[in-house]
Order: sequence, then structure tokens, then C-alpha cells
Amino acid sequence: MSLELSMHTRPQVPLEAELLGPDKTLGLDSKAVSGLQIQHGNEQVTVGDFFKVKGKGEGAIHLEGDLARVKLLGSGMTTGKLHIHGDVGEHLGVGMSGGEITVDGNAGDWVGPEMAGGRIVIKGNAKHLAGSAYRGSAAGMLGGEIFIHGHAKNEIGHGMRNGLIVIGGNAGDFTGVNMLAGTIVVLGEMGIRSGAGMKRGSIITMNPAEMLPTFSYDCIYHPVYLRLLFRALRTQGFNISDAKLTGKYQRWSGDSVELNKGEILVFTP
Amino acid sequence: MAENTRIVKNATCTFCGCVCDDMELTVDLDKKVITKAKNACVLGRAWFAEHQIDDRPVAMIDGKEAPLEEAIEEAAQVLVNAKFPITYGLSDTTCEAQKQAVAISDIIRGTIDTTTSVCHGPSGLAFQDIGESTSTLGEVKNRADLVIYWGGNPAESHPRHFRYSVTPKGMFIPNGKKDRTVVMIDVRKTPSAPVADILIQVKPGKDFELLWALRALVKGRKVDPQIQVMTGVPLETMTDLVERMKNCRFGVLFFGMGLTMTRGRHFNSGALLALATDLNEFTHFVAKPVRGHGNVTGADNVVSWQTGYPFGVNFSRGFPRFNPGEFTTVDTLTRGDADAALIIASDPASNFPKAAIEHLKKIPVISLDTKETSTSKLSHVAFATSTYGINTAGTVYRMDDVPIPLRPAFESPYPGDEEILFAIKKRVHELILSKCGATGATGEARVASKLML
Ligand code: SF4
Repeated sequence: MSLELSMHTRPQVPLEAELLGPDKTLGLDSKAVSGLQIQHGNEQVTVGDFFKVKGKGEGAIHLEGDLARVKLLGSGMTTGKLHIHGDVGEHLGVGMSGGEITVDGNAGDWVGPEMAGGRIVIKGNAKHLAGSAYRGSAAGMLGGEIFIHGHAKNEIGHGMRNGLIVIGGNAGDFTGVNMLAGTIVVLGEMGIRSGAGMKRGSIITMNPAEMLPTFSYDCIYHPVYLRLLFRALRTQGFNISDAKLTGKYQRWSGDSVELNKGEILVFTP
Repeated sequence: MAENTRIVKNATCTFCGCVCDDMELTVDLDKKVITKAKNACVLGRAWFAEHQIDDRPVAMIDGKEAPLEEAIEEAAQVLVNAKFPITYGLSDTTCEAQKQAVAISDIIRGTIDTTTSVCHGPSGLAFQDIGESTSTLGEVKNRADLVIYWGGNPAESHPRHFRYSVTPKGMFIPNGKKDRTVVMIDVRKTPSAPVADILIQVKPGKDFELLWALRALVKGRKVDPQIQVMTGVPLETMTDLVERMKNCRFGVLFFGMGLTMTRGRHFNSGALLALATDLNEFTHFVAKPVRGHGNVTGADNVVSWQTGYPFGVNFSRGFPRFNPGEFTTVDTLTRGDADAALIIASDPASNFPKAAIEHLKKIPVISLDTKETSTSKLSHVAFATSTYGINTAGTVYRMDDVPIPLRPAFESPYPGDEEILFAIKKRVHELILSKCGATGATGEARVASKLML
């Protein structure tokens, strides 16, 4: 049986619960999980103060309730499954390296910052800085996958070094800013200044996008790898038409103030 | 002239970030007013003239007059019992008071943030990302032969800024303005425009694109002439500017909130800092933010040397964590996270977004201000304090990070911010110690007590 936590008291101030991950609760019974220490504002409390715990830690956790103020869930996760039935707060899956997190609702800022592996699926919207680097650090996401089915805001994949981010809806400004490598797909519209300062990596968008003056037009072609990528994304529930699967894409390269080895591919119907 | 007059020489004006320290104030000691402020600009004169002693109780609890000790006790109780208290403001007070505020936030494990987060906070992020190539205004005066203002209107916001950067004769600039080229880059023609030799008008919200194109040109990359359609600036103008920048002896980029508070924010400041960095391959180039409030630079310095970060610092876990967007005041209030607020010399209730103000109304607020403000009116505990630079001595930082001492003009019946914050800190500390004793907690707070008091 998996571990089930349902929130019985709504926190008044942010709750930081980095211990709530399937690997850190492995082998613990409900009593032991209830006794785990988490941070409520500036004081230490126990999981039991806010959650009713059922079941046993066997590699999967289900969380229920209004978790919009709960931060750092699934931090450093290495394996297992974490399912959040509702909205969730900031810093979901910080630096995770394995396992899968699913959020049925919306997520706050910083989804999967500096993650190295595993998968995060957000069924609703996410905010700023998904898959990004923290302020002051040079590299963001190192690997793994982030799938956001709704919209996302600014600085998606800031400083991203590897891995895949897919946004089903629209993305804000500065998508893939300072990107070192990796792939970002935006199926909706993309804001301005995408790929600013990127060294390598690919940003793929389905709608016309404004390019920075440091990006130059190369050609129009059909990159074969997109077909493979899109087929895989279809199995993840993303709606990608046949036209996009087989269509042609404009290729822009940049950012010329940096290495100029990055690319932005724009679907051209 | 009145009988009882005092002349204060080399007094300091703390109205804007220029912090001019060559004021000569004439003070009528009977009426407790400043009758003349020689050398001050129009803003400075208004600042000195409008300052008089109000008739306000020194402390109020829920809008009713209260003895000072009682108010300090109440404030300390609120702060100690809060789980996510925030401290905000600090740009219009002395460094000494700022230091006490950081100590309080540390002891109560709260969050400390300054008005930097709503003005040049983005530049703070950019400094961390890119680095800052910097100098004092004195160096600018003596050496700069190319001065570029970007997204600011100093003639109206910092009227005496030009005495460092445009008009004066300097050691290597013997003919003053004649030896300098002044460039203004802005979205409109501001009243500062007449001092400029070159005026560049950029389309609103396109500063980043212009900066990026300039960076590309400095690095010798090709830029499409279509850039004019995007930014409103012809490619020839850009090429000319780049040549001037590469060939000057000492260049300076002053940037204002036209850059930091428009779409792109920290990336705009970052692009400008990166441009200055790129130019250092060719010549000496520096970039400086033109700071608004009198001692906002001091706030950045004090919070940095006490916590390691300039603003938006959280102590919930006993050590400093920096994360703008998470621990900055507007965000914390808008999300409804904070459960108490200590506001020093600032009026967020009149200039924050609506959701943030609504949350401020719901939580206990402690405010320190020289005047009655929207924030002091909604405060649970409101302290009336004396004005820094006019009644209170101390240190402030000029916008180029140079510390300048204050020479007050006359005494005020009200205590200074530092005095009240020190009293709150002391009481908060005692309360935390007794709390630790009661719960048998570690000696952590006790150790801290030795370090802080
Ligand atoms: S420039 Fe600023 S500091 Fe100087 S006198 Fe004017 S208002 Fe005061």
C-alpha cells in the first residue's frame, strides 16, 4: 500500500516539507511519517500537525489538500512516485535525480530547479523559472523531463544544461535564457527575448516568435529528430497535429553575443 | 535674521541618492526650522524647508497614544510570536538603524527586505549574475570623457548629479563639459535632454534589444539594419555610439529605473552590465545605478555585510537564504505569507499593489516613520521618529557606495530609528531567551546574544 497524506490544517505561513518524498519515507509506517519534522515559518513542526497519514512508505506517496503553501516537496528525490492531487507551492522537486512527480493542479515558481533526472508532470499551469538555475548559480536543469500541460511564465529553463522541458500552453519571456544545452518545446505562444544569451541547445515553437537581433536566419527544413520527439510527446498526452509532425521549420541560430551554437526552430505552416 | 540662529556647514542632504555633503544650513533654533539651505537643489531646499517638528505622540497602539515602553513591549511581543515576520523599508534611515533591523530579523528568524526590491533590485540580481565594473563619482568627475545616461532623468530626479558627471573640470578633464561627450538614451525627450551631446530615443520596452545589438556590435558581430524597425534607432547611430564607446579613455554608463522597472527587469540591467564588461576589452568602462532614496545604497551595503545578500533575505531556518521573488516583500505580501510586518521609514500602504496592501491590513504592522503615512495609520504599533540628517546623526552611503557622515541641524523631541530599534532588539532578545529556556532549546540564542548585543 502506498502512503496517503491528506491535509487537515491549512498552514498560515509557508510550510517547507523537503522530507516528503517517496525515497525518504521508504519503509516508514504512518506513525513514523507523522513524526517527521518539517518547517512551518520559523518553527519546526511535525507532518502530523498538518497531515493525516495513512499507509506505509513503499515508494509511492499521494498528497491531498490545498498544498499551494507547501514548498520543496520531493526535494532531491531519487526514485519512486509522488502524486499531488491539487495545487502545489514553490520549489517542487528541487535537484531531483530520479522518480516521477505528478501534479493534478497548478504549481508555483521554480518547478524542478537544477534537477538532474526523473520526470515532473504538471497537469495545470506553472509559474516562473521551471527547470532553471537558482540565482547566483550558473547551470540550471542538468537532465530529466518537465512536462507542463498548461501555461508557464518567464525564464523557463534559465541556464538549462541538459534535459527536456515541454510547455503545452504559452510560455512567458526569456524562454531558455542563458541556456547551455538541452531542449525546450513550446506548443503555444512564446513571449519575447527567447534564447537570450544561449550557448547551445534547441528551442522549438509552434507559433511565430520575435527574434533578438543577435539571432540569424539559416534555412527552412524538416529536422528528423522532431518527428521522433513529437511521437514520444503524443504518448505523454500532448496534442500535436500531423502537420506539425511532418511540417517544415525555420531555423534561427544564436545567440551571437555568446557561442552562436543554439537554435530556435519555428513551425512554418 | 532670528536671534537664536545656528549655521551648520558641510551638512548632508539625504533626499536623493546623490547625498550632497556640501550644504550650508541656516537654522532658526527657536522655531526649529531650517530657513536657508545654501548649495541645495530645488528638491533639497524643499526637503529642508518642509521639515518641522510635528505634534504627534511618540508611540501609538491601535491608533491610541501609548507610553514608549509599552509600545516597545507590544512590538517585541508581536515579532517574537510571529512565524513569518517581514522587515521592510530602511532606505530612509541611517546605516546604524539598518544594522539593528538586520539583527532583529536574525533573532526573530524573519525576512529582511529593503525598498531596493522595488527599485534597483533587478540590478542587484544582475550584479550577482554578471558582476559590476564600478568606480566612485569622484573618479567619474576626474576621468570620464564619455558619460551615458540610460533610462533616467537626472535633471529632475537627481538635479546635482551633473556636478560629478557633466559640468566639473577634473584632473584629466581640464575643460569640463567641453572635454566630455554626454549621451542620453531614453524612451522620450526628458528635461535632462539639453545637457546631452547625443540623444538616442529608443522605442518603449526595447532597451534590452538595443543593448543586445550594441553588445553584438562591440563583439564585431553583424547586426541586421532592420534593427531600426525594432528599436527605433538606426544602425548608423549604434555603430557611431559603439565606436565612441570603444575609443573613449574612461566611459561610464549610469542607469535608472527606466531600465530596471520595465519589461525584462534584471535582464535589462544585466545586459547593460555585460556591455560594460565587454567594453573593458577595449578601454576602461564602468556602470553605476543611479539610486533614488537617500540611503538605499546603505541598506544594500548593511544587509550585504551582515547577511551576505543585499535584499530579500530570509532567516526562517536560522541561516540567511536569498531568493528574490520568494522573500521579497511585494511577493510575500501578495501571496499572503507574512504574519507580521516591521516597516521602517517607508510607506508600502500607499505604493504597493492592492493585494499586498490588503494583506498588510490583515496582519499586525509595526511602523517607524517621521510623518503620519498610510502605513502608520494602519499600524498596530506606530512610532514617531526623528529625521535622519536633520535631527539624527549617523552614516549614509552615496549611490557610489561612499559612506558619508551626517551633521544634524537641530534636535528633535522624538527618538531616532536606531534608538527604538535597539530597544525592540533588546526586548525581543530577552523574550527569545526566555522562550528557549522554557522549551529547553539549545544555547544557540544565548550564543547569539553575546554576538549581537
Ligand atoms: S541632488 Fe539630491 S542630495 Fe543633492 S541637494 Fe539635490 S536632493 Fe539633495
